This record gives sequence, structure tokens and C-alpha cells, in this order.
Amino acid sequence: MDVFLQSLISGILLGGVYALIGTGLTLIFGVMRIINFAHGDIQMVGMYLTYLLFVHLGIDPFVSVLITFPAMFLFGGLLQRVFINRVLDALPQNQILLTIGLGLVMSNTAMLIFTSDYKILTTSYSSGSLKLGGISISQPMAISFLITVAITAALWWFLKKTDTGQAIRATAQDRDAARLMGINVRRMSILAFGLGSALVATAGALISPTYYIYPQVGSAFTLKAFVITVLGGMGSIVGAALGGVLIGIAESLGGAYISAGWKDVVVFAIFLLVLLVKPSGLLGKSAA
Amino acid sequence: MTRSLLALSLVLGLSGPAWAQALKIGVINSMSGPEAPIGENLTNGIKLAEEDLKKQGLQVQIVWEDDTGVPKIAMSAMEKLATREGVTGIVGPYTSACANAVSKLAERYKVPLLVPAAAKEEITRQGLKYVFRMNAPADVYASVLVDAALTMGKPKTVAFIYENTDFGNSTSKTAKEYVAKKGIQVVADESYSKGAQDYRSTLTVIKSKNPDLVFLVSYVADAILLMRQSKEVGLKPQAFLGGGAGYTTAQFAAEKAVSNFVFSCTQWTDDVSWPGAKEFGARYKAKFGKEPTYHAACAYASMMVMADAAKTAKGDKDRTQAALKAGKWNGIMGEVKFEDYAGFNNQNNHTMLVQQLFDGKYETVFPAKFATKKPVFPFPGWK
Repeated sequence: MDVFLQSLISGILLGGVYALIGTGLTLIFGVMRIINFAHGDIQMVGMYLTYLLFVHLGIDPFVSVLITFPAMFLFGGLLQRVFINRVLDALPQNQILLTIGLGLVMSNTAMLIFTSDYKILTTSYSSGSLKLGGISISQPMAISFLITVAITAALWWFLKKTDTGQAIRATAQDRDAARLMGINVRRMSILAFGLGSALVATAGALISPTYYIYPQVGSAFTLKAFVITVLGGMGSIVGAALGGVLIGIAESLGGAYISAGWKDVVVFAIFLLVLLVKPSGLLGKSAA
Repeated sequence: MTRSLLALSLVLGLSGPAWAQALKIGVINSMSGPEAPIGENLTNGIKLAEEDLKKQGLQVQIVWEDDTGVPKIAMSAMEKLATREGVTGIVGPYTSACANAVSKLAERYKVPLLVPAAAKEEITRQGLKYVFRMNAPADVYASVLVDAALTMGKPKTVAFIYENTDFGNSTSKTAKEYVAKKGIQVVADESYSKGAQDYRSTLTVIKSKNPDLVFLVSYVADAILLMRQSKEVGLKPQAFLGGGAGYTTAQFAAEKAVSNFVFSCTQWTDDVSWPGAKEFGARYKAKFGKEPTYHAACAYASMMVMADAAKTAKGDKDRTQAALKAGKWNGIMGEVKFEDYAGFNNQNNHTMLVQQLFDGKYETVFPAKFATKKPVFPFPGWK
């Protein structure tokens, strides 16, 4: 029983971060119909930013989210304005090439600056845990989960309740109609890409105390983000959050009851099953 | 100039670089990609060898190839070195997967390949004439650690956790065979795919089996993660045995809160009494600003041996193979001799060392004649 509860809790905590990564990707896809293959690399940039803030200025990784979030929002917005906006109407394969290319530039620049050495952040609480009966809850992961929940709630509020949020959603629903209604869709695109980048970079900051950082760290997360987003339904924020937590739990339980080496197989089996039964994802609307 | 002459001679189909003074030796190493942090140690070791060869007045041209840790790329690097560059011999590749993939090509092109630090046993177990190995293979990683544990106490059970790569699988497979021979029962056998963030569920399963020994095989970053999470879930065996790679790095040692008293085995340390080991360590530190790992020493020794053999053979590939087979060297890796034994071919029967971490510092604890400190056993628990 302890093993089950322990795995479930670890899975949910891990899933929180996955949810944040997936939400970022789905937001970008929803508004622009572009799959951002540089997603993991943007996360990597966020992780290095966290690392620099921690090592040079002594700012705690969790506090540094206050800096990472706006900084990466600007970074993402800039990427959108300078690069992505130009290919919005281009062929899908050109869009893919552009985002992959941007990702490569980011990871190789990171390698030039930081070399390919693994960087590990050691905070006082990196291996700290709270004991609850026979279960231990990782302190850094518990904090990061709380931050994730707060950010997701704030994002949901922003998209539902504010004018700008509604404009973003309108753009996601129908770009042309939104334009006819007087919405500046280019601006919405910049906002969406900025937000998506900020979210994934925040996820990067949150896992920094418990994971490690290297220039190629992004590629694994890009794949994961893609799986989470497709599982939840492309473009659905709630779907991405749900998909993230689901995958976290699947990984953790798979690791405990099958084998740690097979947990990715468990994840992909669930992924394929869901797509078989519901091709548009858990909460996806079927393609128009 | 030399290069264009060589190119010309290749174009004209001239054979025999009898006129060429510089010996051409290829290096295949993981210089970028996820294995690069360890690959860098090999690169640095070879750079020191290059300096020393120059000091000896031996002209060696080293042709560097980066395999990025991917076997397919290592294979094309090998083909390039063998056909286009026409090297006399090759040192590398670093990872087991790459070295294994490349070994058959070395045989096909009849280019002597000296593998400096890859652990997978099969590499020198395929009956290949042109493939040599400097370091002790994976079975020794396991046997020295288990022997050390048996000398210190009476462990009855062991749990394995290892990454599901060539290196992890092959090290743990031989370890399992070895503990079976010694009458220790395997209570958990968990492989993981590297790069995962969360091993807590697996570690909890292991903890519930309450093993006397925990045997871990991983590269550097996962090693730290695994130990952090072991502390988190409160796993407390009599000893943590780290099978190579990740548990023998300065970065791991620096994580004092989780690395204290972990046992590991290594091919080399700078406090061992092999000739030149101490000086090599000091030079390395002065030049690169960090402690050398055993990979650096293996790569250094491999390049020195390969260059010496190539010199004896005057740059001829077949004669280099013969020189490697017949020769005997003594240097920072101790005595080096490529022998056929226990199913291995051209394998240097290298003595491995067992070390334990004391507050961020590695101390050799076995074999007794190289020991610098008495081991702490059983594991006293987390701070």
C-alpha cells in the first residue's frame, strides 16, 4: 500500500510540472496552429536562467520564477515577433523547420556558453522530504506543485475573465473571424507565444532544484510536451493540465509496478489507447 | 602541405606513407551530446598524451572525430578514419554502445582499435584481432565491489538499479551472475531509462525489500538524482555500491549530503602507486583546472601505447596490430599487456580499485596494498 501511495503522490507532483509544460505548448498551438518544436529548448533557456540567478545572485530557484516568468515572456514574444509571425501562413513543414531550427540555435548557443557539462543546483532542500506515515513527500516537488497550481489557476482566470484573455481565445477559435471583430491577431499571437514560453520556462525553473541542466535537456521535454498536449486534446488548456498529471501518474505507477525501464512504454500505451478511442484527445474538439 | 601531399598520394593510389614522418592516429570520442561531460576527460587525457609524444620527438597527427554518443555516427567516423584519412590506429570510442558498433568495422578495415574506457564485455569477446581494450571490462566492476563487501561483512541480499543501456545492462548482468556465485540473493532488479526525473517509486519498491546491498549503475547526473531520492525515501542498506561512471566523478563527490560513504570502483586514481600517476594528476589539474577522472588516464595511456606501437610498426596497420599484441608497457595505468583469457581477446587484465567517499573525497579502500584509508561499513545512515 505504501508503494502505491508513494508512487501516486510522486506521480501527481511530477504531473504538475508536466501540466505546465503541456499548457504552454497547447496555448501556442491553439492560437497559431503551429507546433512549437523549440518548446523544450525554451524550457532549457529557463533552466539556465534559473541556474545563473541561483549561482551568481543567490536567488532561490522558486523565488526566481518571479524573474524567469516575465523575462521568458519577453523572450518568447520576441521570437514570435521576429521569426514565427513571418511563417504563420506558410506551409506546415516550413513552420516545423523554423521552430526546430530555433531550438537548435538555442541548444547549441547554450553549449557554447555553458559547455555540455551537467549543472546541478544544490539547494538546502534538494533532497529534503516530509514524512507522512510510511510515505515521503519531496519538499521541492511539493513546493513546485503548489506554484504550478497557482499559475494554472491564474492563467485560467486570465483567459476566461479578462478582455485580452478572451481575445486570445477568440483568435484560437477562429483567426479570421477574430480579425473581422477588430482583434489584433498578430498581437494576440505574440502574447500567446510569450505566455507559452513563460509557462514552459517556469516549469524548467521549478524542476531545476531536483533535476539537472544540460544544453540538450530540451529534446526529451519537447517530446513529452507533445504527448501531453495530444493526449489532452490539441489546444485545450484543461486537457493539457489533465494530460500532464495523467502522464506523471502513469510514469510513476509504471515505474513501481512494471519496471522503471518500461515506464515510457506504459505512457505510450496509454497514449495510443486514448487516441484509438478518442482521436481528438481527451478534451479535444474534433477537427472542423 | 603534408595534408595535400597525402591527398595527392591517395588520389594517385600511391601506397605506403614511407615518406611521411607524422604518424596518423584517429580518435573517436563523444565530444558533444549527452556523454560529452565524460568525453571531455578523454579528450583532455589525449591532449596531454599529444604533448608528451611531442616531447619524445615523436610526430603524431591526431585526427579527431566526434561521435556525439550515437553508434551510427561513430560508425561513419570509423569509416572516414579508415578510408579517407588512412590512419594507422584508432583510440576510442568512449561509450560501450559506440565502441561495440565500431569494433566489427575495425576488423573489416584491419585498423587497430584501442578502446580506452568502454565497459561492455562483448567488445573484446568477439574474437576480433584488431580490437584491443585498455580498461577492465564490466565483469570486474561488479566483482571487485562485491568482493570488497564480502570482505567487510556478510551481506545476504542485494538490490540492483541500473540504466537500461549497454553499459548498465552488461555491468549489472555480470554482477548478478557474480553475486549468484557468492550466494547473495537478488531481491530487486530494476532498470530505468536514463533522463527520467523521478525514481522515487522504484526506490520505494527497493526499500520495501530491505536489501543489505544496493548496487547502482548510472552515469553522472542520474547518479546524483538516484542518491538524492534514496535519501528522500530513506533507503538505508549496509552499503551503496556504485558500479563505475557516475559514482566516480568529482561532481558526484561534491554532493556531500548524499554521496558520503558510497563505495565505487574505478580504473584509476591519482594516489595509486603506478608510475607517473601522481604527476599525471597534478599536470591535469594545472592544465584543465579540475581533477582527472579514470577516463582521462585510460585515454592518455591508450594514446601513448597506440603511438608507441605505431612507431614500432613505422605506421603500418598490420604491424601495429602485431606490436600491440606483442608489447608490454608500464605507465600511469600500471602494467599494460593485451592478453587472451577467460574468453577475452586482446584484453588488458587491469586491476580495479575500490574507493569510498569521505566528505567529498575519494579514498582507495581496496585492494589493501593500494589502500589509503580504512572503509566505513556498514553505512551509518543519512545525516
